[in-house]
Amino acid sequence: MSRAMPNVPATTDDHALIPMDYTSSKMRIASIVDETSDVKTFRLTFCDEQEGEAFDYRAGQFGLYSVFGAGEATFCIASSPTRKGYMECSVKRAGKVTGELHQCNVGDIVGFRGPYGNWFPIDLMKGKNLVFVGGGIGLAPLRSLIWNCLDLRDQFGEIAIVYGARSVSDLVYKEELETWRQMEDVSTVLTVDPGGETPEWEGEVGFVPTVLEEANPSADNAIVITCGPPIMIKFVMMSLEKLGFGHEGIYTTLENRMKCGIGKCGRCNVGNLYVCKDGPVFSYSQLQELPQEF
Amino acid sequence: MPTNKLYEGVSDWLQSAVETLSAAGMTVIAPTQGEPGVVNLTRVTSAEAIAERYDNTLLPLKGQFFPITETLLEFERCEDGDVEIQTEPLPAPDEVIVLGCRPCDAAAMGTMDKVFQWDYDDVRYRARRDRATLVAFACTTPSPECFCTSVGGSPHGDEGSDVLVFGLGGDDSGGRVLLKVNTDKGRQFIDRLGDRVRPASEGVQPPSPPELARRFDTDAVKAWLDEGFDSDFWQQMALSCLGCGACSFLCPTCHCFDIVDEATWNRGQRRRNWDCCSFSLFTLHASGHNPRPEQFSRCRQRIMHKFKYFPERFGRIACVGCGRCIRACAAGRSLAEVLTEVDARQKG
Repeated sequence: MSRAMPNVPATTDDHALIPMDYTSSKMRIASIVDETSDVKTFRLTFCDEQEGEAFDYRAGQFGLYSVFGAGEATFCIASSPTRKGYMECSVKRAGKVTGELHQCNVGDIVGFRGPYGNWFPIDLMKGKNLVFVGGGIGLAPLRSLIWNCLDLRDQFGEIAIVYGARSVSDLVYKEELETWRQMEDVSTVLTVDPGGETPEWEGEVGFVPTVLEEANPSADNAIVITCGPPIMIKFVMMSLEKLGFGHEGIYTTLENRMKCGIGKCGRCNVGNLYVCKDGPVFSYSQLQELPQEF
Repeated sequence: MPTNKLYEGVSDWLQSAVETLSAAGMTVIAPTQGEPGVVNLTRVTSAEAIAERYDNTLLPLKGQFFPITETLLEFERCEDGDVEIQTEPLPAPDEVIVLGCRPCDAAAMGTMDKVFQWDYDDVRYRARRDRATLVAFACTTPSPECFCTSVGGSPHGDEGSDVLVFGLGGDDSGGRVLLKVNTDKGRQFIDRLGDRVRPASEGVQPPSPPELARRFDTDAVKAWLDEGFDSDFWQQMALSCLGCGACSFLCPTCHCFDIVDEATWNRGQRRRNWDCCSFSLFTLHASGHNPRPEQFSRCRQRIMHKFKYFPERFGRIACVGCGRCIRACAAGRSLAEVLTEVDARQKG
């Protein structure tokens, strides 16, 4: 059966059933950062301190966030598990729940349940050179892993980050991009789509796949982690093939619509897999075996 | 005590069962006639309310365990900015006897159990399952849309039921019956009926099931589906689909759901509602991207899920051949015909 796939942490059948009543934990908004005109990053802390201390997750996992009265929505956890005491999520204003979230203020209470899903194979990444390729808000799940790796810097080889957005104003985590750019042991390439640059822009101008090819990272002993719009991922994969990367060493995270997050509601199914249980992290070779419905 | 034991019920066994079980504080759910021609499972306190002849209930049995809509939690925003959350308590543990579902609907619960009880255990579903005894009435006259025998079932199938009841007088249950005990729960049910049932006489056997020809072979269907994702068959077969979702809502194994908040001013509920993969909004991302953007891709998903993905994942087909999707389809579409065509393509 194709669901037993390599390189993905087991998520099923190897433990007792976990009772589930779909209730949410209360979290308080500790701070809000305006990333772009329509993306905000919320730092959240558990209202119940004990719950906060017990909370643990891995980079790549996601949760169901809610504004009571508007409903639940799925976002990845955008902060690193190495940073304790809080959790962050970056939300693009797009619909009902995200719109309500954007109306929230510091101190407001939101709901959260999770963490759910598998995670980036950080154990496999140890000792490897890492290439992160992100587009737009797709940097959010990568950011969790990037800080996770940077906080354990000596366990990994070279780290390269290629990130782009439609325009300069659409780049998220601007301060952190600058921090990464100035780190001597991280090679950071930033780009904006043609026409999205400003007179002050010092980065590249061009689409992410093109800029990635120009950056020409070595495929030797390397793992690629990519996330962005579906069309970007498609062309990034083609560029990576040109650069000689094998399909096994490329990981991405799928963002299918979900309601339950735990393999019941049937919404995120792709073939016989549940993105919420068998993913959201998949290797490129896994994705190629799936029906192209993501 | 061994199960699979046969008992005979005297002619007023049903009346007696409803009275005895109700008097013991149990909730008895049975098929009753509402609007003309519409039979559904409702709570009864007297056997007179029970429909005498019916092919099957309009709504599937699953709703007794996975309701059309249910509250998950209630919330209230307080003036100080806090939010009070009250998780919906579990359903009361009072025993529930379902008296008169059809064998296909009982078998369908095995499919539902797989979904609601893997990895995470859906506590409300389990509570409703644990408290219920399923007494199925064997089919005497399958309707023209029925195809249980094509998907591994039978009009007399006993999978999923605690007791299977065979009418001996030509009708379903009213007269003399034979009761076949399938489980411990079924044995407890028989014990409660006291002298209204007695062990069947030596040599008494259930009647033969009514004839129902097999229309397709699920192994052949699976083999074709394994290779047929990109076939142009899907565009053709889906042309008439209106995407109304009636097939899913009436399906005893469809289990997709939505979770929504319903609130007025400062208080409200988080609810779970049935949903359907045939709806275009089902998989629509906030970005506007839709993994299944066309109706044919959604029709394909529904069939692939039931006859390929679900068996690969959970080891069984997610269809029991009840025929409700065929009876309900406003466009006259037939799942059995589609699968017969798939079977023919595989063998052709």
